[in-house]
Amino acid sequence: MLEKRILERIINEALESTADFAEVFAESTMQNTLSMQDSALQNAKTNELKGVGIRIAKGHKSVYGHTNKTDEASLISLTNDLKTAFPGDRVRETVTLGELRHGKNHSVKIYPDTVDVSKKVSLLKRSDKSARLYSKDIKQVNVSYMDTVQHVTIASSEDIYVKDTRVRTRLGINSVASNDKDMQHGFNGPGGSYGFEFYDKIDVEEEAREASRIAVTMLYADECPSKTMPVVIDNGFGGVIFHEACGHSLEATSVAKNASVFSGKKGEKIGSDLVTAIDDGTIPNAWGSANYDDEGLSQKRRVLIDKGILNSYMVDQLNGKRMGEVSTHSSRRQSYRFAPTSRMSNTYIDNGESTFDEIIENTEYGLYARKMGGGSVNPSTGDFNFSVMEGYMIRNGKIAEPVKGATLVGTGKDALKKIDMVGNNLLRAQGMCGSVSGSIAADVGQPTIRIASITVGGRKEDAS
Amino acid sequence: MNFKPLFEIAKKTGFEAVQVKYSDSKSIDLEVFKGELDKHEISDSQSLTIEGIYEGKMGKMSTENIDESQFEKWVEKLKESAQAVESKDPVVIYEGDSSYKEIDGVYSEALETLSVEAKKKIVFELEERVRNADERIDISEAFYSESSKHVRLENSKGLTLEKRVNHAVLGAHVVAKSEDDSRSAFDYIQSNQPQDFDTEQLIEKVVKRGTSMLGAAPVESGKYDVIIENRTSASLLGAFLSMFKAENVQKGLSKLKGKLDEPIAETTLSLVEDPFMEKSPKSTGFDGEGVATYKKSIIDKGILKTYMHNLKTAKKEGVQSTGNGFGGGISPTNLFIEPGNKNLEEMLEDMGNGLFITSLQGLHSGTSAISGDFSLQASGYTVENGKLQKPVSLITLSSNYLELLKSIDTIGSDLKFTFSYLGSPSLRINKMSVSGK
Repeated sequence: MLEKRILERIINEALESTADFAEVFAESTMQNTLSMQDSALQNAKTNELKGVGIRIAKGHKSVYGHTNKTDEASLISLTNDLKTAFPGDRVRETVTLGELRHGKNHSVKIYPDTVDVSKKVSLLKRSDKSARLYSKDIKQVNVSYMDTVQHVTIASSEDIYVKDTRVRTRLGINSVASNDKDMQHGFNGPGGSYGFEFYDKIDVEEEAREASRIAVTMLYADECPSKTMPVVIDNGFGGVIFHEACGHSLEATSVAKNASVFSGKKGEKIGSDLVTAIDDGTIPNAWGSANYDDEGLSQKRRVLIDKGILNSYMVDQLNGKRMGEVSTHSSRRQSYRFAPTSRMSNTYIDNGESTFDEIIENTEYGLYARKMGGGSVNPSTGDFNFSVMEGYMIRNGKIAEPVKGATLVGTGKDALKKIDMVGNNLLRAQGMCGSVSGSIAADVGQPTIRIASITVGGRKEDAS
Repeated sequence: MNFKPLFEIAKKTGFEAVQVKYSDSKSIDLEVFKGELDKHEISDSQSLTIEGIYEGKMGKMSTENIDESQFEKWVEKLKESAQAVESKDPVVIYEGDSSYKEIDGVYSEALETLSVEAKKKIVFELEERVRNADERIDISEAFYSESSKHVRLENSKGLTLEKRVNHAVLGAHVVAKSEDDSRSAFDYIQSNQPQDFDTEQLIEKVVKRGTSMLGAAPVESGKYDVIIENRTSASLLGAFLSMFKAENVQKGLSKLKGKLDEPIAETTLSLVEDPFMEKSPKSTGFDGEGVATYKKSIIDKGILKTYMHNLKTAKKEGVQSTGNGFGGGISPTNLFIEPGNKNLEEMLEDMGNGLFITSLQGLHSGTSAISGDFSLQASGYTVENGKLQKPVSLITLSSNYLELLKSIDTIGSDLKFTFSYLGSPSLRINKMSVSGK
């Protein structure tokens, strides 16, 4: 890790220009990944990242450079290269860094780099065995495991000098069910900002069975009809709909450039009264939590939408300058290889009052999306699409036959307004979110919700 | 760095063979947004991956903390990694082929020597011209992304191979706005020759892509004859690439298992891998395992001729590696559907009525590479009497990729490559299932 003197030297060297902001992000990360297939361990890999990212800005204009030549001379040379973007006399006084602050939350009991690889292997074996025992239709199981310990030091001209350690681990079970007609898969991937103790907190066998249950259910499912209909989206990973359709459009990354459907809508009604949405990077040990954001500001809880009213965007320092707003401490990045920008942390629709049963009973005909797959959105138009990993038809207020191949298509703006029932069973689930500043850990979440009408794409001609 | 001492330490520890891949990369990324330089990033990075065979198992690690003082530690880690492996799959570190093709045109001095100021000027000009091309252009962004890479592959069996490539992408992204609608679009040129960055056509295309989509709406659900645009078809191919990888075939994760030498596509369709294409950063004379690459047809006139193999899958099946061992797995170099004779205009005319699909969204989630099924959000235009008519959005196109390959009506002549060098001409498919209104 870089010493204080070098950090100060880089910052002050950078400010020997018309720049008014300079930041150093130094990282040292150790990742372990294991994978199992055919019930045998295939790979056990370690990956070590080590590098420094330097950002220099004037107003909202910035330049970024990163390198893994981390000796003082190389870093000063990179700084000098970067600052040529802002030629001229110095505008800021000499920066002196204060006391180093350490992140203290999200404490970890068993650092994964201290755990013997054989213990990790046996975790994968348990998952594999349990997933296979679920059904004879399960023909293949892929289990993956990852842990990462990321040490960062962030120092900037904005009186920032912090150190944080982010520990995360996740297990992924992908079960494949097949017969002579079809092949379907199911995935389940629990994770958190924990050390190896995480695997004592969850029921590993049950998590593995869940992946197989989805695969087998879908193996015997009918094709989903194509039609516009009410859709009930279940709690947990169902929150991906909000993440994709609305969350990305509330990030300053697109809002600041007026490239979001929600630009300039603060204080306005953008969703149904039932919708309150939160982005909270402080939830203890949650997958998307950290002590500090990647500009060194303490993580926060942000109420994005309050009973349908747009209350807050997710803002980083530089986009804040463009928007005339202060940072909401939402800056994140995959690693030193990426300049940071505003991103989500743990984002969810908050609890409402309906029970799950009430929501189903009040739906005459529609789709029940029990497990969602992934999806994507165009932030400038809000057009989104999601695949439904596990779906069922709802007929006469009851869950009926399973259906496969369903896709939900719509726009975030419309969907938010059409949410007409919100359950009381909030649950979060883990995902990886990819965007301009790389792939980062993010929780999605929601209680069971109903969207009054949405386009469902499927392969079956409509017969109702 | 001299890796001989590393090989020595590994040998003493009991390793049968060790291989290192060292890569040194530099990049520049520029982005201009509404007349301002919005992004200027530079990078200089080195990475090292090490593989070694210990008691018949392959250990693997990678690091950016590259220092000779770490040699002992690396060997320890590598041993730990190998000992954890249970798979009985064959492991190979390759002694090398007798010759490797030298490839011209993958590294350009001209790109490297063009000043950053000159590169900035290209991007600024492009953005300004896009912005002023049409009053409905509300947001305009232009970008330039350049990378150069030097790779060295070296192993304890005496093999040393090196290559240097560079490459750049110049592109523009627009949002067109009307009173009640906004639509985004982007287009790009990729090459390693500065003179290829002719922006005239690029501007025209990207502006048209954006503005002509304004007012797009779904069509009625039903069966439609469809032309999928070249680059969109190329992206769709990317979503089903794993079907052609021997690893997936051997593990029962591909529906192409047992289909070698059988017809799997329309007889006019050939899927070709050409590792020697000029100006592509994917072009190479050797793969990541040191195997000499060669040009081949994966599908030849509808018949599946080979899967893509690396050393492991080839040994398992008793065949030769096809030179597709990259990054520990299997990947193509430049892979494309061979173009036919008809240009897009002729294809539209032949079809008469139907849909022209210019974009498919959700390729990473709305597809199953195992079953081949896809159900994807699509946009494009209606085609009436051979002409593009109304813009279309929020429809879903559903089929199965293998069924699609068998039901191709016409293959166009307009081959285009994605950023990852997967290529396709425009394809016409009849009676596709579309869900809309």
